[in-house]
Amino acid sequence: MDSTALNKPSTWSAFALTLKRDLLIAFKRKNDIVNPFMFFVIVVSLFPLAISPEPTKLAEIAAGVIWIAVLLSAMLSMDSLFRADFEDGSLEMLLLSPHPLFFLVLAKNIAHWIVSGLPVVIASPLLAYMLKLPGDSYLTLLLSLLIGTPTLSLIGSIAVALTVGLGSRGLILAVITLPFSVPVLIFGTLAVQSSAAGLPAGGYLALMLAILAGSLSLAPLTSAAALRISVS
Amino acid sequence: MWLWFAKLGSPKWFYELSTKWLPWLTAAMVLTLGVATIWALLYLPPDYQQGYTSRILVVHVAVAGTSLAFFPLMAVAGTITLVWKMKLADMVAKNAAALGAWFSFITLATGSLWGSVSWGTWWEWSDSRLVSMLFQFFLLLGVVSLRSALEDSEKAAKACALLSIVGCINVVVIKYSVEWWNTLHQPASPVSMESGSANGPEFWIATALMILGVYLFLSVSLILSTRNEILQRERKALWVQELLADTKSGRG
Repeated sequence: MDSTALNKPSTWSAFALTLKRDLLIAFKRKNDIVNPFMFFVIVVSLFPLAISPEPTKLAEIAAGVIWIAVLLSAMLSMDSLFRADFEDGSLEMLLLSPHPLFFLVLAKNIAHWIVSGLPVVIASPLLAYMLKLPGDSYLTLLLSLLIGTPTLSLIGSIAVALTVGLGSRGLILAVITLPFSVPVLIFGTLAVQSSAAGLPAGGYLALMLAILAGSLSLAPLTSAAALRISVS
Repeated sequence: MWLWFAKLGSPKWFYELSTKWLPWLTAAMVLTLGVATIWALLYLPPDYQQGYTSRILVVHVAVAGTSLAFFPLMAVAGTITLVWKMKLADMVAKNAAALGAWFSFITLATGSLWGSVSWGTWWEWSDSRLVSMLFQFFLLLGVVSLRSALEDSEKAAKACALLSIVGCINVVVIKYSVEWWNTLHQPASPVSMESGSANGPEFWIATALMILGVYLFLSVSLILSTRNEILQRERKALWVQELLADTKSGRG
């Protein structure tokens, strides 16, 4: 498959190859998968210790705590999106390729989300249970995270692409990315809270889908432009 | 028109033009700001509900309105930087980010001073304007810190241009999402008093004058800082050397 892809390189095969390559690398270096996930679990479990073990209080803050932990773990894991490729030079090869950078960046984004976002989404019902989230809202939580985490990855990739050449960039990444994630955070928590209160949450999920659609079409474009600026 | 546009991009041309304009702009700024400040803070009749604290709103509304202009300004300058690679646009944008952060900060400060009397609280999360202004402040600080983190000035110019364009879109999205978030919890926002016509025309004329004054202040400070930036970046150019030699001999 690889040789035919090289002989007749279509954009689609370049996309698939980039995706496959990034996933392979991630599964070889399990740190990238385990660390964001562990970070998420640990941050969530700190909140009951800091605030109160009382079930009613926990149920009130559960949606917000989970969403903020997701936001932080997404942001911290973003750092690895382009870094290794930048350091070993393969990012430059990506920029030189004849295929539209949009799809290559998108492939890297999707791979990154599968590795760092998806495990968090899958673990979230368990942590929601530990925080005593009201029973009706589990599906909404899962859906909102399923829509929201790729959006966070896409938005974050712009800031990562802008700062890829910097030596120490953990904090500047946070300063740039966190304000950008406010709409996702607002609608994500609103969806969960309203379904916990027995209200319909479809409207918020639709708004989140709209933000996802917008960032899916615009963020890779912007990240690609940002990469061309940073790597030159 | 294109010739004019290309001319505008030349730092030297801008420097010479602004030397001519600056005294007039400064005089207009001092006049409007002076009249508006004295009028607003000393002579405005107290509001029947808010008392004398309504006077601070004149400053607050003017600064708040002006601070909203920064992201569009930076996005336009950023587009010019990215598309036409005009150095001058970036010199303006560089200082606009920090200035905008200050304007947002003053907006928040005067707003909470007013709120501490009128609402009885310095900070109210349930008000959408406060929250979106806070995040505009954060976004502007993000642009400032990206600029200072990137050492290569050309790279920094392009990166900040891109971030400003994205930020400009994001400010709008944040504004609406905070508004929807807010209205669901607390439909009646006390800030609506701001736009109410309960206040007489003298209040609005003072505010309009103040807005004009603050915009003039914005232009003057941007021009001054851009001139500084021009001198610093073009310090090896012949015309800057000559200018410096002139000022030195003029003093000596």
